[in-house]
Amino acid sequence: MAVPHRRSSRYFLMAFAAMVLGIFLAASSAWADGSSGVPNAVPPKGEHEGKNVEQPIEFPHNIHVDINKINCMYCHTYARRSKVAGIPPTSKCMGCHLVIATDKPRIKKLTEYWEKKEPPRWKKVHDVPDFVHFTHEKHLKRFVFDNEGMSVDRVSEVCAFCHGEVKKMTVAHKVKPLNMGFCARCHEANKGPFDCWKCHK
Amino acid sequence: MSLDNILTNWSRYRKGAEEGGFHEYEHQWGMVVDLNKCIGCNACSVACYAENNLPVVGEKRCGKNQAMNWLRIERYWDEPDLAPYEAIPTANVDAWIEGNPPAKKTELKPSMPSSYLPGLLEQDGQSFEQRVGFDGTKSEFQDFGASFLPMMCQQCHAATCEPVCPVAATYHTPDGLNAQVYNRCIGSRYCSNNCPYRLRYFNFWSYYEDAWPEPLHMQLNPDLSVRDKGVMEKCTFCIQRIRVAKDKAKMEDRKVIDGEFSTACVQTCPTGALVFGDMQNPESQVSKLWSYHQVERGKTKQNKENKELRGYRILEGLNTDPSVLYLERVREV
Ligand code: SF4
Repeated sequence: MAVPHRRSSRYFLMAFAAMVLGIFLAASSAWADGSSGVPNAVPPKGEHEGKNVEQPIEFPHNIHVDINKINCMYCHTYARRSKVAGIPPTSKCMGCHLVIATDKPRIKKLTEYWEKKEPPRWKKVHDVPDFVHFTHEKHLKRFVFDNEGMSVDRVSEVCAFCHGEVKKMTVAHKVKPLNMGFCARCHEANKGPFDCWKCHK
Repeated sequence: MSLDNILTNWSRYRKGAEEGGFHEYEHQWGMVVDLNKCIGCNACSVACYAENNLPVVGEKRCGKNQAMNWLRIERYWDEPDLAPYEAIPTANVDAWIEGNPPAKKTELKPSMPSSYLPGLLEQDGQSFEQRVGFDGTKSEFQDFGASFLPMMCQQCHAATCEPVCPVAATYHTPDGLNAQVYNRCIGSRYCSNNCPYRLRYFNFWSYYEDAWPEPLHMQLNPDLSVRDKGVMEKCTFCIQRIRVAKDKAKMEDRKVIDGEFSTACVQTCPTGALVFGDMQNPESQVSKLWSYHQVERGKTKQNKENKELRGYRILEGLNTDPSVLYLERVREV
């Protein structure tokens, strides 16, 4: 009796270990995919190698988001209320940088703009054609605010669906194709609307 | 997926209700046009030009029937008895006021509005005016008795334009609208040939090149694309406004409220001749008017026994099932 019993328990242990390993592998491959742990969401698939866009000031997203944990919507504040996410006004930058890191060369450059009362001419990195209607607010509603088990602190994971992991970048860089196939795949996976005039105009 | 979508839509929507094809819409936008109230001021048409980035094409192209008026006012002289007088030069108006009316008309002038389809009325190298002997002194039309009929896309539920499009650029939205996807259109013009109302307009030229010289391009509506050459377009019931209203309602977790928004023409009409709304909402003004005038969707013939009821739909006998209800004009006699 003892032998089968021992065997079965070892079998059970192995199965358990395999299961744990399996879950771990699945999870890690999911992370490698760029898919995150956002509940009730299937991240869109598609990769793209965008050009580097030279900005007037090399803005380090990684320092702000990854290290200092500033929420994306602190600066891109219109994302939750309108079609466009918006670029923060210089006053928002200066709100912190009047006192923080004022000796750094990039901040000095920013302060120059501020004193000249002139905004830095940021260049657009993510753009959709003029015949496309896209609203940030509805996507944030679906994936963040109406999403149970999703906290607003983790909004950068939702932004990453279309903008890539900006928190690991310095200057934003286009890594997702943002074409119709990309949108359509995501709408199909997440049961989004499929009416042509929802997005086309 | 989208091909599936299109095929389902085709088979579901292209038939009239009598043939068993009907329709579970999210909304069902509809319109009512009270011809009694319309004074033919053309404000609705102008509003449409402004809202929908329509190019003003100029006289020559207009003469070739290439005008892009998504909403046009048609004129009819259907009751010639109401125009018993010769048209008079302005100088003689004083004489008329003093009690010397101009001579009664003996023979009636042709009542076809020549400025509406001038190119088509040209025959044997002669213009319409030349053929009917219009010498430029008298008005080519009667001074009285014109009636006006605003004509916008009828948003047929069994739209004849939809099944003939080879690339499915025109399709039925879940709102019961007959929509046109400009990016998909290849310009075959089948839909326009199949439209019994002649309400589809084709971009024969790159109008955007000269229709909005700077700084007029600043007036273009960003919610709508500017169409290029070779693309068919038509009245959309201001779908961009519908989209904004629906988005707003969704953000606030409610339904679209009747009267919350309307199309550009309805908003502009000074006499309130046009009414727009969701016919799935029984409380909306449109559905009340439809039911008051006892016009039913999906029928090819309405019960017209009660002469008090003025509702009719244009060419509904073709089983197109239009979404625009017209209320007949009543005249004192
Ligand atoms: S704006 Fe109103 S009154 Fe003027 S033409 Fe249009 S429908 Fe008629």
